[in-house]
Amino acid sequence: MSAVAHAPFVALSSLWLVLTGTLCNLRCTHCLNASGPDEPWLAPLDDAAARRAIAEAERLGVREIYLTGGEPFLHREILPLLERCLVVASTTVLTNGTVMTEALADALAALARASRWSLEIRVSLDAADAEANDRVRGAGTWQRAVKTIQALDARGLLPIVTATDITGEPDTYERFRALLSGLGIAKPRVKILPMFPVGRAAAADGRLSEGDLDGFDRTTLQCAETRAITADGVYACPILAGLPEARLSDGDLGAALRPAPLYHAACVTCHRTGATCRNA
Amino acid sequence: MLGGVYANAEALAAVLADAASRDADAIFCLGDLGGFGPHPDRVFPLLRDHDVRVVRGNYDEAVAAAAADCNCGYTDPRDNYYARISYAYTVAHTSAANRAWLATLPGHRRVRLGAHRVLMCHGSPRRINEFLWESTTPDGFLRRLLAEHEADVLRCTHTGIKWRRVLDGGAGHAVNVGVVGRPENDGTPRVWYTMLTAEPELDVQFVPVAYDHEVTARAIEAEGLPSEFAETLRTGWWTTCLENLPSRERARGRF
Repeated sequence: MSAVAHAPFVALSSLWLVLTGTLCNLRCTHCLNASGPDEPWLAPLDDAAARRAIAEAERLGVREIYLTGGEPFLHREILPLLERCLVVASTTVLTNGTVMTEALADALAALARASRWSLEIRVSLDAADAEANDRVRGAGTWQRAVKTIQALDARGLLPIVTATDITGEPDTYERFRALLSGLGIAKPRVKILPMFPVGRAAAADGRLSEGDLDGFDRTTLQCAETRAITADGVYACPILAGLPEARLSDGDLGAALRPAPLYHAACVTCHRTGATCRNA
Repeated sequence: MLGGVYANAEALAAVLADAASRDADAIFCLGDLGGFGPHPDRVFPLLRDHDVRVVRGNYDEAVAAAAADCNCGYTDPRDNYYARISYAYTVAHTSAANRAWLATLPGHRRVRLGAHRVLMCHGSPRRINEFLWESTTPDGFLRRLLAEHEADVLRCTHTGIKWRRVLDGGAGHAVNVGVVGRPENDGTPRVWYTMLTAEPELDVQFVPVAYDHEVTARAIEAEGLPSEFAETLRTGWWTTCLENLPSRERARGRF
C-alpha cells in the first residue's frame, strides 16, 4: 500500500472540544461518532483538560471554538466552560436540541449578551418533517428540537439548523428554510452537511492518494487549521475524533500541531465536497 | 480607504468627491469592483481618474480569470444562487481590457504611515476571501495575523460592515473599512468609507456618504438583475448573502 497522504498544519484557527465524548441522550441511526446513552466509547472531557486546551488555543491565536459531543449540554460544566470560551473567541455549541430548558436558554442569552464575540447554537435535525426526522433520531425528537429553535430565536440567539444530507434530495435546503419560515423564524439559518462515511454510516474503503491531491491546495482542508480535543487525545478534526489512526497526540495540543494523515474514507468526502464542520 | 465597489458607480463617485473635499493624500480601494450592481465597466474610469490605488479582491480575481464562480466563500445555497446571477452578469459586462487590468492588481499593498506599517488586503492577509467580522475576529487572532505578516496596522474589507480595533494600547490596529457599493445592513441607504491619518497618532474616521441610490437601483432593475439587489440599496437592509453573517451581526439586520 502506498504512503498515506497528509495535510499540512498551517495554524490553529478552529478548536473543537468534544465535551461529552460520545455520551448522548439519543441514539441516531447514522451518528457521525456513534454516540449514545450507553457507556460512551469516548469519555467526556474533564473541566481541567478543557480549560488547558482553551488557554493554549488562546495563546496560539485561535479564531473560533466549537463545543460538541455527544450532546454537549449534558456536560455539567458547560456553562462556565462556555463563558471561558467566549472570553477568547466566538464559540459555537452543537446540540441535538432535545435537552434545552427555558432556564438554560436564558443562561445562554445572558452569556451571549456579555461576550464581545458571537455565540452560535447549532441545532441538529435530520429532516424538515417530524416523521422522517424521528425515524433517524427517535420519537419526539423533532418536536423537542423545534421547541428549542423557537426558544433560542425568541431570545435573539438565531440558531443555525444543521442537517446531514441523508437523502441527497435536491430540495433539502429549501425544506428546512420552509420549516423555519413556517415557525415564524425571521432570520432563518440552515447548514447542510454531506453524509460522512464514519460512525454508524462507516464505509470500509476509500482513501485519498497523492495522485488525488495533485494540484489541490491541501491548506484548504479543515484539518490544516483545526484540532479536536477529547479525553483520550488530540485529533485532526471533529469527524475523526476518537479514531486511533487520527490521533495526533495523547492530550498535548502543542504536540498535535503537525501534519495530519488523510487516511480515512471521510477525508475523501472532505476533499470531494469541500465540506467544513465550521459554521461557514 | 474604501472597499467593495460592487459596480455602484454612483456611490463611488459620491465617495471620491467626499474624499477629495477632505484633501485625502491618497485613496486606496481594497477590491471587489464588481458584483450586485449594473454596468461594471463604469467604475474603472472613476478609479483611474482619481488615481485610486486598488488591491485585488476575490471578485476581481475571479472576473479577471473568468473563473467558474466568484469565490466569495458562501456555503449557503440561497447565497450561491444570487451570487451566480451577479457573477455571470459581471463577467459578461466587464470589457476584456478591464478584465486584463484586474489581472494586474496586487493582492496586498503596504505603506508607511508615520511609524506604522500598514498592510492592506481584501479579506484577510492570509486568504483573499476570508471574512473578518467584528464578532468573530478575536484579539489573539488579530495579533497573530499582524505578527505573521509583519504589520502594525491591518486594513481589510470583504464583509461589508466596518469596524475597528485597537490592540495592546495602540501597538496594533485593525480596521475593516466597510464597503461603498451597498449599505451596511443598518436600515439606511448610506455607504461608508474610512479616513486614516497619523499626526503622529493613528486616527480612524468612518465617513458616511449619501448618494443617489435610486439611480443605481433603477439601473439594476433595468438590467434584469434580481430586485433583491435594488431593494437593499433602497432600504439599507441586506436581502441576500446573509448566511455568512455571525449571529451578532445578523441580529442587527432585518432579514
